Amino acid sequence: MLLYMERIRKKLWNIMQPLTHKPKVLGVPVSDLFIWRNSKDWKTFFELTDIGGLFVGCDDSVSRFVKFLVFDNDGTLLLEKQISLTCNKRQQIDLSKFLCNVGCEFGTFSVFHSYTHQVVSDLGSYVSDRGYISYCYVGAPLCAYVHGNHDAIAQLSNGELLPLGGISIRTREYRLQHALLSATLYETGIVNHSAKKQHILCRVISTSNGEVIKEWKVRLGSRGCHIFPCEVNQSQAGRMVIISHLVMARPLIFKIKNNKLDVFHG
Amino acid sequence: MSYYPILKAPGCEGWVTLCNFSPNNWEIRDVSSKFINVTWAEGGKWRSEYLGMLAPDEMRTITIEEVSGVIHSNALPLLSLGAASLPTSSESLPQIVSPQTHVPNWRATLGLSSAQSSTCYQGEIDPFPPSGSLLTFGPFIQFNEGVENYLILLNIEKSPIVRSSQVEILDADQVVLRGRAEVVNNDATIISLDNLGFGQNDLPVIVCRGMSAIPLYFSKTSDGSFLSLEHTHPPASYVIHGKRWEAQKVIKNLWFARTAQ
Repeated sequence: MLLYMERIRKKLWNIMQPLTHKPKVLGVPVSDLFIWRNSKDWKTFFELTDIGGLFVGCDDSVSRFVKFLVFDNDGTLLLEKQISLTCNKRQQIDLSKFLCNVGCEFGTFSVFHSYTHQVVSDLGSYVSDRGYISYCYVGAPLCAYVHGNHDAIAQLSNGELLPLGGISIRTREYRLQHALLSATLYETGIVNHSAKKQHILCRVISTSNGEVIKEWKVRLGSRGCHIFPCEVNQSQAGRMVIISHLVMARPLIFKIKNNKLDVFHG
Repeated sequence: MSYYPILKAPGCEGWVTLCNFSPNNWEIRDVSSKFINVTWAEGGKWRSEYLGMLAPDEMRTITIEEVSGVIHSNALPLLSLGAASLPTSSESLPQIVSPQTHVPNWRATLGLSSAQSSTCYQGEIDPFPPSGSLLTFGPFIQFNEGVENYLILLNIEKSPIVRSSQVEILDADQVVLRGRAEVVNNDATIISLDNLGFGQNDLPVIVCRGMSAIPLYFSKTSDGSFLSLEHTHPPASYVIHGKRWEAQKVIKNLWFARTAQ
């Protein structure tokens, strides 16, 4: 009986609340909403791969390209760039080349591939770019790499954008399984990959007594993102909880200590 | 529940921060105190030792130095959080009994530290089937002067019996073999990616027909001041929805055939 009740309880958390919605039309490309940062201290690079070419090899009869769509932190489209793909080659894209004079220092971007091979559609699947980003901080000799996080958004054939992130009926907590330590700056990036505006509450809890050390609230537009800066005191080692209606509000953590950057996903 | 390996890499020491709280508030309601165990392969057996308890809501960081008094070899230490201590010796990797989550998986922070810096990711590892294989594309090599690049192949299997397989590193465009190494099960195999002739625009493809592994890419400046660590996704992650694992087979079949020539 207890097991049955537990199953019902979990069902209520899952029913009609998928992690990622499915586009109605096969063959449309899907992308993460990656976070870009661009300022005197920050540079962002994207490792572009010809995903279609990995499935079928280099077919020169098909022109393959990607569309980079760059949004500001409110989710407003700033610019669109088309880049030709080079099959089986590494193409590192320096986002700062697109981002001169955009008026903000962080936002999101998506990478939509023009080509979906029939073999992918026949499997009921969609090509999705959740590829790899690197961030370079204060001219460091080494960039910090991190993979994509969500299958966040699709672009329909008429150009319409369809955010795919699921929305929960009840608020959910994402509890970062990482210890926040003193003498370190944590900048936590949260993306709204749902179609609706979301209220996000970011809370840092003391690991010693469970008290709330710090709390931030933000209202995020669809496709938008926010970066919460957080430092904890020597006596206040903590952990982070993100409370929202997003089914999975998995954050991107920029961890800066002694001017050195580490970046990872929750 | 999964295992959490203490990583190793040149010039760095590994550590793991274990967390005894659920990563969300809806898949698991109650969290109880858990047994921390360390497990490693030695002499054709899995060995385990109890390291202590972790109370609900607590975190504990365990370094390679802490377990080196328990493990008298270079074996890969696998930490776990479970409802009981594990048998001190077993023929098969002990199954960790503990509630699981999926959105996201219950993880730990897996890190590497040098004297000047540290890097980490949220991770876990489950045993791979011995019939598994590996295909990954790794555009992570960094070319600045004084930067070293490594591939770390992380594998665990249920069997403690040592076996190895060949891993090939090729240029995806020309399908030219650039390097070959031996990968060992139940270990973190470290392979240098420098001096293999890769250029800035080359896409390395890593192929192992006889063993699965999590491919980690680790870069460091030679003085250890700056570190970077990240893993690649399996090829199934190039698509979403539908029969993703069939899509992975399509990519693997194509590339295994291409690179076999």
